Amino acid sequence: MRKFSVAVVGVVLAAVVAACGGSDDQQTGDKATASDKLSGSISVWIMDPGSPKIQSVVKQYGTDFEAAHPGTKVDIQFVPWAQAHDKFVTAIAGGKVPDVAEMGTTWTPEFADQGGLVEQPQISKGDYVSSLVDAATLNGKVYGKPWYAGARALIYRKDMLQKAGVEAPKTWDDMMAAAKAIKSKVGGGVYPVSFTGLSEHMYLPTIWQAGGQIATQDGETWKSALNTPEAAKALDYYASFYKDGLDPKAAVGWEEPDAQTAFANGDVAMLIAGGWTYNSIIATKPDLEKKIGTELAPAGPSGKNTAFAGGSHLVQFQESKNKDLGAAFVDFMLEPAQLNKFTSEIGFLPGTTDGIKASGYLDDPQRKPFAEQLLDHSAVYPPSPKWGGLEGANIFDGEIQKVMKGQSTGQQAVQELAKKMDEEFAG
Amino acid sequence: MSTAPAAVSAGRASESAPRPPAAVIARRWVARLTMPVLLLLPAMVIIVGLIGYPLVRTVYLSFTDTGLGELIYGGSTWVGLDNFKEVFSDEHLRASLVNTVVFGTLCVIGTMVFGFATALLLNQRLRGNWFFAIAVLLPWAVPAIAASAIFKWLFDSRYGFVNWALVELGFSGFQDYAWFAGRVSAYVAIFITVVWQSFPFIALSLLAGLQTIPKETLHAAAVDGAGPWNRFRLVTLPLLRPIVAVLVVFSTIWDFKIFDQIYVMAAGVPDRAADTAAVAAYREGFALSHYGLGSAVAVVLFLILLVFSLLYVRLIGREGSA
Repeated sequence: MRKFSVAVVGVVLAAVVAACGGSDDQQTGDKATASDKLSGSISVWIMDPGSPKIQSVVKQYGTDFEAAHPGTKVDIQFVPWAQAHDKFVTAIAGGKVPDVAEMGTTWTPEFADQGGLVEQPQISKGDYVSSLVDAATLNGKVYGKPWYAGARALIYRKDMLQKAGVEAPKTWDDMMAAAKAIKSKVGGGVYPVSFTGLSEHMYLPTIWQAGGQIATQDGETWKSALNTPEAAKALDYYASFYKDGLDPKAAVGWEEPDAQTAFANGDVAMLIAGGWTYNSIIATKPDLEKKIGTELAPAGPSGKNTAFAGGSHLVQFQESKNKDLGAAFVDFMLEPAQLNKFTSEIGFLPGTTDGIKASGYLDDPQRKPFAEQLLDHSAVYPPSPKWGGLEGANIFDGEIQKVMKGQSTGQQAVQELAKKMDEEFAG
Repeated sequence: MSTAPAAVSAGRASESAPRPPAAVIARRWVARLTMPVLLLLPAMVIIVGLIGYPLVRTVYLSFTDTGLGELIYGGSTWVGLDNFKEVFSDEHLRASLVNTVVFGTLCVIGTMVFGFATALLLNQRLRGNWFFAIAVLLPWAVPAIAASAIFKWLFDSRYGFVNWALVELGFSGFQDYAWFAGRVSAYVAIFITVVWQSFPFIALSLLAGLQTIPKETLHAAAVDGAGPWNRFRLVTLPLLRPIVAVLVVFSTIWDFKIFDQIYVMAAGVPDRAADTAAVAAYREGFALSHYGLGSAVAVVLFLILLVFSLLYVRLIGREGSA
């Protein structure tokens, strides 16, 4: 029903825009008719990070595109991140794929390896953020166009830290000290952090911060680099907050959005979060804007404060019936004018280099840490086709949860993880 | 359709004739068989298409190494019993089978006991019982996935009603209690959800059964000096045995293959320790693209259900006839 009404609204709006459209709309329309006439309909899957703004911006893309190309129809559906991997697999297996989709950067090589994705011909590295192009590359071919990127930094409640008498933490030791001070001085059921058991982008980067590596490339395949004292130390550090009661008891079973809800509700003082989360929180609770501070991710014993450079690609599926229209819509979404709209509203950085320069993030003190984190202090997970499967299997979650619950130690966990990763890389 | 009237007229003709020719007899038999087969055909096609084919395909997949690539482009290889060996050697999959049998059995017991109690209560001639009979039906009408989401919220550590109520009642240990952070406590919450959803059907079926028991029989037992418990044990229960047998088999099948409640509520249980076989099969297949192994889990679950169902039918059937 909802899908239907969205489509109806889209069609109505498209008709209205087309009818009253001024010269601007006319121009884009002319450009399109100059090339091949586009027709038919496509379905588009966009990931849903829980921000109401992303939905309206993307729906507007569909409406504008339909207005510029009469006779076309763009059906946009929103898929929550947590279910997206399963949904893609089911869609490919069942032959019911969308024509265009936003895909998490760590999944692109996996689905490309299975032959599900269309190779993107017009990629020149200088135009896009290079690590995101690398993440879409399999055997020298590129299967996705970088759309946006972001890295998680630290956001915190200034008022709560002030009450606890601590500064924004810059290192692991600061973080632990601040957490203990908040626990003893703030009260009101506030937990210092929400380190969850189901958010790998929160705990895996601590391995880099400790000076470790996740995996190393070994010719054609990858090899786990987790079985090291650094990685063990990282997991122990992460879990120690839970064990010491500085983290909500339920957080062991939380997904990232649960942690964000807790922060937005004032139940948590510090959160590892990206710019998109920051935007989403102050959109739902505007009075929090003045109370929230931002800082780079805390640095580990190695001095590194590396975070995961996440983001998404726009991909087209091999079984799509209307690849021309899909390609046109992808290019439309990547036009600088459209991207600018997106980044300012959503809180991600664009995947194109021009877009980043134009974003103005580095001039906004509140948002500057997010941009700095991405540009200078971030890394990507191994772009192996097997990585998506590792994520899908939640092997990391299970082990970190056991360390949090005290059923296993950091050392045992990394040993077990290294074994499982190598099995998956080899198989 | 046209053969039926022909057969009828042929039959009528044979009454006057002393001996119908062989051709007529043969035609009569064909006519007799054609109609039933024709009438059953649509149902047969649907059953074979929707149940037979997936079943055969799943069994076939369970003997192959099918992954996502093989599923799309073909080319999977036969691996014999390897998948089944893995099901029983893999710690997580083995645990999921144990979970299924233990938790499923507890749910069946809970549902039957609660359902029976409700049925007996509704069978009393109390004022407004029709209202309660309708109210009891409501949980059954809630989709399982919606019920699971609702109960997950009810059991939420900070904002949930359950913890709030328990703390108000004086159990202060339930302040921020995390139901889904451990296997046993998660199962308590899921057990309540499952029983809440499945007892209405049991209760109303048993109520229908209870109302067929002649009052004279119960009166006679009372006259003979049987108390309420003995009347229930010696009269009501034996008379309801066929219904109970069917309901236990149904419940077993439902509760052993529960998916929605586990998928929604147990996703955060550390190390997925609360997964049941149905969820493990789904995750193995769709999250990991190990369709062969996932199918093997499904086949093992199917065999477990088959064994339990046959066991019940035989046990209860034998007692009934004795």
